[in-house]
Formats: sequence, structure tokens, C-alpha cells
Amino acid sequence: MQDIINIIFNPLVLNILVNMAIFLIVTLSLNLEVGFAGIPQFGRMLAVVVGAIGAGAIAGRFMAFYYGLPWGDEYVDETLNFKIVSQINDHLVNSPFQSIMMLIIALAIAAALGGIIGYLASYPAIRLREAYLGITLLAFADAAQTIGKYYDPLAGGTEGIVVPDVFRFIGTGQIRFLGSTLIIFFIGFLVYLFLQSLARSPFGRALRAMRDQELAAKVYGKDIVKLRAQALIIGGAIAAIGGALWTLYTGSFKALTYNRVTWTFWPWAFMMLGGTGNNLGIVLGTLVFSTVRSLIYAYKTELTTYIPINPNWLEYLLIGLVIILIAMFRPQGILPEKPELPIPKKKIESIKASLSKGG
Amino acid sequence: MIDIIMTAIGYSSSIALAAAGITLIYMATGTFNFAHASMTAWGFYIVFAFHKVFFKGLGNPYMYFPIAMLFSGMLGVISYYFINRWLLKKGADMTTLMMSTLGIDLVFFAFINMFADFLTYNYKINARLIVLKMEDIILGKIAGFPLRAITLVSIIMVIAIVAILQYILNRTKFGIALRMTIENPSLAAILGINPDLIYLASWFIGGALAGLGGAILSLVYSGTPSIGNVVIVPEFAGSIVGGLYSIFGSLLGGYLIGMSEYIVINLIGTYVSRNLVVYEPLIPLIAMAVTLLVYPRGLGGIDWSKVWAKLRGKKES
Repeated sequence: MQDIINIIFNPLVLNILVNMAIFLIVTLSLNLEVGFAGIPQFGRMLAVVVGAIGAGAIAGRFMAFYYGLPWGDEYVDETLNFKIVSQINDHLVNSPFQSIMMLIIALAIAAALGGIIGYLASYPAIRLREAYLGITLLAFADAAQTIGKYYDPLAGGTEGIVVPDVFRFIGTGQIRFLGSTLIIFFIGFLVYLFLQSLARSPFGRALRAMRDQELAAKVYGKDIVKLRAQALIIGGAIAAIGGALWTLYTGSFKALTYNRVTWTFWPWAFMMLGGTGNNLGIVLGTLVFSTVRSLIYAYKTELTTYIPINPNWLEYLLIGLVIILIAMFRPQGILPEKPELPIPKKKIESIKASLSKGG
Repeated sequence: MIDIIMTAIGYSSSIALAAAGITLIYMATGTFNFAHASMTAWGFYIVFAFHKVFFKGLGNPYMYFPIAMLFSGMLGVISYYFINRWLLKKGADMTTLMMSTLGIDLVFFAFINMFADFLTYNYKINARLIVLKMEDIILGKIAGFPLRAITLVSIIMVIAIVAILQYILNRTKFGIALRMTIENPSLAAILGINPDLIYLASWFIGGALAGLGGAILSLVYSGTPSIGNVVIVPEFAGSIVGGLYSIFGSLLGGYLIGMSEYIVINLIGTYVSRNLVVYEPLIPLIAMAVTLLVYPRGLGGIDWSKVWAKLRGKKES
């Protein structure tokens, strides 16, 4: 028993688990837009960073306002920010109810902002096609990061801000991190269930029809503009929740740490490895890839003794090679997309049998 | 102001050439090449390594421009021969092609960092922040500001590239075969044109243009190994603004993006507020967004003969 506890409380294991949970949420949202709706979303980072700002700066200000603390420009001031946040934390640590409410409010704000971002992204998404759209989205994500990095009144600029710790009521030290990881996993599970039911619903089938043959979908009376906008809004909201959870978990926000490799290209790699268009595949792909990534990260220094290369570059080399190999040999992923059945297979078989009997 | 314009010319020539490379590869193979970032950075580092490290201060940096072009061109050939060719044969879709070049970019990026480490350890030189601007030849003075050779050389290079490409595309058998393969690969194959060779050539030329862009950039910007990640966004923007289906449009787009980025930010810094200078990366994005909203298919999608006709018609009436 003690062994198991030791393993769970190992910082490396915690790191692997939380990375997995956060990237699961982000990659699932990416899969909705790319896998189901066929939108080349190369700007995933946009919704993630907006969600992080929503939870870190906007929900944080709301908490400061609620507890009667200064919430204007003082909130993001680098000398006052951590004092205000520690006062908020003093309130939160004693009240699990308020903490959970604040968590929900932070996630709601993030989701709303992510939805707005998705709606705005639908404006170019209707007019532009393929590569034009992909690069436009990528460019807007970079623009958002630039603003977050340099516009101090928003979220502290390059210095970043400390974020109220809504998970503190769980306990201190490792217990807090384990508890929050479990909560994030639970939210990731809910996101999976939601997207899976979405994939099986008429909406999911309409999205795939649009992806495969837009004209045919139009013929059957599907509103392409509306479908694209809906997919982008839902995807943006979920990705923003992922970003918000990451900010709340780490307890700080720094726009500098959000870059396109981590928050756009890695989720793409996870998705391609798992199987584009298959939610279960995404879970598997994220599980495998993020574990490998965390392990490389953790054993960097040990690796240098065997290979005379700076392990930072080794990480890029490995990720690059994995992406190339997946693209070349298994572009459909570990679990390829298969038709989602609206009703269980057994029921279909029995209907078939009764039909053949009757006919 | 004149010195700003002179630097802007060098910078935007570099962006324009690299953007033309992206467009050429996209036109030929339908691959939107993310690896252009590292190919540009390699061009940058080749000039630095040869001029500053291998042949210390011998001659001038311009001597090594052909090597930079050749090297990045070879990177393009490697990308095509080992990865892109395979994917094209399997009929991979656009996103898979894009992602594969992203993987290539990460690999090249890792190698460039290793190369920088190698230079740092073996030659005891700081290869992580390099400045070559001072090595440039100064031709004279304009209004008190030194006229660096790069301003003239970059313009001459762009004109030369335009002339050469124009000649190749319109006057040689190879150019006609290239255009035909882009228009209709299967028909070209029926007529005995080997599309493999055409794709290989466009990857080589595209890579070489990226290398040349990087080489020019080395005399304008001070750089780190991640310089490619910084300039790739204006390069993409130039290519997109140019319309993705016209090499000359992408050169135009590159100039539009590069000039607006460099000159507008300096105007803002001088006349509005010094604090706004950090928002420089936003300018190419805004320029791109505005252009795409007005012309959804980029500058290359405009029918210039119609525009001329309109202008002439106005003059007559």
C-alpha cells in the first residue's frame, strides 16, 4: 500500500497525469474541429490562451471584487498581484463551497470567451479554404499571444500574474496536486462523454457529411455556415476550459509560456497518432504520446550521459520524427475512424434478422 | 527615415524570396511547407558559419550566399525525396502533408541547434546570438546614413530571380513542363513528363529561395537558432497575401508584408508611442487579414489586365 502511495505522490507521475488530462481536453476539442468538421485548425493555441486569460485574469478579478479587494489595474500589478491573490487564497482555503463555485465560475468565463473566439474564427472559416484558413488561424493565435505578452493591464504582460488557487481547500503539498489532477481528469472524462454523444448525434453525422462532401450536405438541407460556426464555438469553448484548468493548476499565468509548438502542434501530433475522427483513439494517442513526452522531459539530464546531444534538441528531434513517421506510415492513427452507430450493433442485427424473416 | 527604408528593403526582400519559395512548393505539390522556417534559419547560419567561423573574415559574407542557397536547396531535396514523394504517391490529404512538413521542421530545428552548440563548443564563439550586420560592405552615404551593400544586393537578387524564373517558366522546355505538371499532373504524365523530377526541382528551388532569404536576413537582423520561428509568420503571410497560385504575387505580397511591418512600426514608434513598438508581430497579421477580406484569393487572384483596363477607361472618359 505504501508503495502505491509513494508512486502516486511521485512528482513525475503527477506531472504525467496532469499533462495527460489537460492535453486530453485540448486534443478532444481539436478533434471535433479537425476530425469531424474538417476545419484545418492550426490556431488551437488561440482558444487555449484566451481561456487561460479568462480564468487567470478575469475570473481572478471577479474573486478580488467579490472579497472586496482591489480589482482594477492593481490586480495585475507585479508588486501587488501576489498579495491580493494570497488574501483571496486565505478566503478560499477555508471554504470548499466557495472554492468550487469559483472554479465553476472561472471555467464558465473561460468557456464563454472560448466560444466567442470560436464564433469570431467562423468569420474567416466561412470565406477561406484549406491552407488560407489554416494559416489565418495560426496567425491569429500568434497575435493573441503577442497581445497577452505585451499588454500589461490584461494579465501582467511578460511578468505574468499569480492566479487564485481554487484547489487549495483539498489539502497542502502533493495532496493538492493529486486532488486537482483528479478533478481535471474528471472534467476530461465529462468532455469525452459529451463529445462522444455529440459524435453519435445527428449533429455529429451532419458535421462528417459536411467534411466528406459539402455539396451533398447542402443538398440535404444542412446549413454549412451554421454547422462550421457551431463546431468552432463548441471546440473553442472546450479548448478554453483546457487552458483555464492548466492556469488554475499551475497557479500562474504567463503569456510567454503559451507557444504554438506546445498548444497547437503537439495536440495535432497526439490527434494524428491516436486517430483523427475517433474520440477513443484520441484518448489513447494522448495517453501514449504525453507519457513519452513527460518521460523525455523528466530524464533529460540522464539521457545526456548516453547521447552527446543537448536533450532539449533531442526532444524536438524525437517529436519531429514521430510526426513524420505517423504521417508516412499510419496517417489514420492507432484507432482509425469507424462509422458511429446511432443505436447498438445488436439492435441493428436483430432488426436485420427480423426484416429478412419478414421479407 | 532613409536608413529605416534601406533596412526595410533588405528585410522585405528576404521575406519576399522565402514567400516565393513557399508558393512554388505549394503550387507544384500542394504541400504548405512549414519547414521553410528552418530552411531560412539554415541559410542564415551557413553564411554566419562560413564567414565568421570556417574562413574567419576572409572576403565578405556575400561569397557564401550560393552555399546557403545550395544547402537549403538540398534540405528541400531531402524533404521531398524521403518524405514528401512518399506521401504524394499515397495521395495524402492537405493536412497530412502540412503536418509532415511540420515534423521535418522540428527535425531541422533540432539540427540547427546542435550545429550552434557544435560551433559554440569547438570554436569558442557565441553561436546563439549572432550579428553579421557590421560585416557588411558600406558603399557610400545617403543623407548622412551609411548605404549598406545589402540594400542594393537584395534588390538586384530579387530582380535577377524574377528574370530567371520568368525565363525558365516561359521560355524553356523545363518551365513549360513544370507549369503543365502544376496544371494537370496526369495529362503531363501521359505526354511523357516525369512529375517526380518536376516536384524535386520545385522543392530544390523553393528550398534555395528560403536559403537566400535567410542569407539576406543575416545581414539585416541579429539572429538566434529560432529566427525561423519568428520570420515564418511574415513569410506565410506574404505567400497567402500573394494568393498561393502566383510566384510573382507572392513576391509582391512579401514586399507588402515586410515593408508594412518594418516601416509602419518605426512610424508608430517615432510619432505615436515608443511603447507600441513591441506589437510589431501584429502588423503582418493585420495586413494579411485586411488583404484577404478584400481579395479572398490574395493579390495573385486579381485580374491585373482588368484593373489596367478600368484605369485606362477612366482616363479616356
